[in-house]
Amino acid sequence: MIDFELTEADKKVLAAAHEQALIGRRYAAYYDKHEDELPPEQFPEAKDHPSMVRVAEEGVIGSSGARILHTLVMLEGSWGGMSLQRSRWGLGNTVLETVATPEQIEKWKNYTISIAITEPSAGSDPANIRTTATFDRETDEWVLNGEKIFISQAQSADAAMVFSRFMAPDGTRGMTTFLVEKGTPGFTIGPQLKKLGIRGHDTCNLLFENCRLPEFNHIKGDFKSTMSVFNDSRPMVAATALGVARAALDFTREKLSERGIEIDYRSGARSRSAIADKFLRLEAIHEAALLTVMRSKWLEQQNVPPKVEASIAKAAGGKAARKITQGCIEILGPEALSEEHLLDRCFRDGRIFDIYEGAGEIQRLIIARSILGYTSRDLR
Amino acid sequence: MISFELTEEQKLAQSMVQELAANTLRPAARDADDREAMPDSLLSEIWSTGIVQSQASTDSDAASSSATLNAILLEELAVADAAFAIAAAAPIGFLSAIAAQGSSAQKKNLLPLFGGDKYRCAGIAIMEPDFAFDVSSIRTTANKTRDGYRLSGIKGLVPLAGRCSHFLVVARCDGALDAFIVDRNAKGVTVGEKKMNIGLRALETATVSFNDVELSISARLGESAGCDVQRIIDSSRTAISAILTGISRGVMEFVIPYLKERVVHGAPLAQKQVIAFRLADMRIETDAMRWMTWKAASILEHGGDAIKQSQLAYTYNGEQAMWIADEGVQMMGGHGYLRDNPVEMWYRNARSLSVMEGAVGV
Repeated sequence: MIDFELTEADKKVLAAAHEQALIGRRYAAYYDKHEDELPPEQFPEAKDHPSMVRVAEEGVIGSSGARILHTLVMLEGSWGGMSLQRSRWGLGNTVLETVATPEQIEKWKNYTISIAITEPSAGSDPANIRTTATFDRETDEWVLNGEKIFISQAQSADAAMVFSRFMAPDGTRGMTTFLVEKGTPGFTIGPQLKKLGIRGHDTCNLLFENCRLPEFNHIKGDFKSTMSVFNDSRPMVAATALGVARAALDFTREKLSERGIEIDYRSGARSRSAIADKFLRLEAIHEAALLTVMRSKWLEQQNVPPKVEASIAKAAGGKAARKITQGCIEILGPEALSEEHLLDRCFRDGRIFDIYEGAGEIQRLIIARSILGYTSRDLR
Repeated sequence: MISFELTEEQKLAQSMVQELAANTLRPAARDADDREAMPDSLLSEIWSTGIVQSQASTDSDAASSSATLNAILLEELAVADAAFAIAAAAPIGFLSAIAAQGSSAQKKNLLPLFGGDKYRCAGIAIMEPDFAFDVSSIRTTANKTRDGYRLSGIKGLVPLAGRCSHFLVVARCDGALDAFIVDRNAKGVTVGEKKMNIGLRALETATVSFNDVELSISARLGESAGCDVQRIIDSSRTAISAILTGISRGVMEFVIPYLKERVVHGAPLAQKQVIAFRLADMRIETDAMRWMTWKAASILEHGGDAIKQSQLAYTYNGEQAMWIADEGVQMMGGHGYLRDNPVEMWYRNARSLSVMEGAVGV
């Protein structure tokens, strides 16, 4: 039956997540100003605050479901801007789990594995990558050469799952993945990138110069299986975007209220102020995007793998974060620009979500192909 | 518990209405708009779905529990044309207000009148023919008299006004808003000539004047208990949201085949990103509009406070539907501007409906 009410169990978990987010918000402000420092694996408060992500993932009796609850917990964490414990999971772990052999999984299951796809001339078009692995018959090793950019969890991960071209001894060529552990000779991690926002987010470039790897490190994720990890992550990124957006909305509502401006949902459009109207419309954008995220996650829970719905959620969430963080500053005016407050960080952080993990344009390509019945050749 | 699952009953009703919309209503939409009248045969078809009569059950639980189903079905009717959806949503709005907030005598007297097998209309009269009208500035008054109330004011844009047997008139009484059940034959009630507007021309809307209409105490919705007018407005905003979703889907589904066929500069329009991306946005927004509507309807259905969600849905959907209809015309170029194609009609309908308040309900 159609229902949008959170259960008591949902509310309990989310209240705990919110409490942590309030603590996380202080750290987020610190790391926003200290972008070269890597946040610790966990903050001192983490010992009294179990990870709500883990609680949600493990399943809570009486909740709206593990996927939905997990997503809402992520939104809450993003509202704070920094979680009390660093995630041990990277998208490289998803590739490992999906395509690796049992022996490979056994070896690396406790690693945090980042995913390395983007290159200076291949971002939205990953088929264009130039990183190449050739096989050295003399030593029975793969030799990896190339550069990866904008890599999340670059320093904090134990290993990178590197998407690469390969040339096998028998001459076959294609796309594949290699697991490269931190410290492998020939693998260099660059300095933290200087970004508009999400400055507490570990992001570097990776360099592979004659990096030698045994065949055991060949994970054999092909193009399709590697890209499909984003199906799960897209609505999650949208939820993260909506956490930042909600932080901006909550702050704005509070400040408006302090100035005696309350949002009246009863009256019509022609009897409210421009400010109230603007706020209400931003709030509607948030709600609309959040519902597309819930829809995608609900489908996952029904074992219907979402594809177009995941892209809808990502596109809606990414756009919502842009509009809302920009709009809130417009509502509150010049004082909102100050770094003493929150909106400066929301505005900068909120701009990433329509760019990374599949830009809004890529989501629209996927959606358009789906509704038009086009292949990636028909619509480029 | 968050769920998007339709019940078997909802799925069945949805596919039945979908079929009616595609096979019977859509082909008749242009003609009805041109003739500026709603054919009786189509009203009978809409009536035959049972969507209106199911509101007339005197069992109040059954009536108040169908807001979500109504939202689903109104979207489907509006895919054919919004005027058809409103022809159903107007009496639904009236009946659901009576069922949810009427006294037991009011329910007993009124609801059975709508249980028959012929289309019957009754409308909620909220809007007034003033520029910059807003629900918070209603001017119609109901003054207390010795035996009841005296109603005075003018209501505009009442759908199918000439066919209505009753109006539920929202008026100011002792400083607050209240709703009154008025028989269309009561002394002082004048239903004006049908008035043509930009859109929804098949709806036969008219102005209805109430000139010192004497009402008994029992005319007040809920009688001595009164009613919550906001709830009538919430229900209306939700119904409008559902219909706007249907308009948007209609536009999107209509333009796709044209865009795939029409070749410009060597390639179909649909293969150009500037077109394809706008289509993608139409899909994103129609999805979002539907969930916004369902959420408002579901809150209404469970008796919760739907003020905020119905406002957000109404505001969001109004903006998106106008954008989608606008882009639909643009994408078809000159063909979109011709009355041979329905998108210009839906463009007019989207503008009309998204500024309306209170004529309908779920």
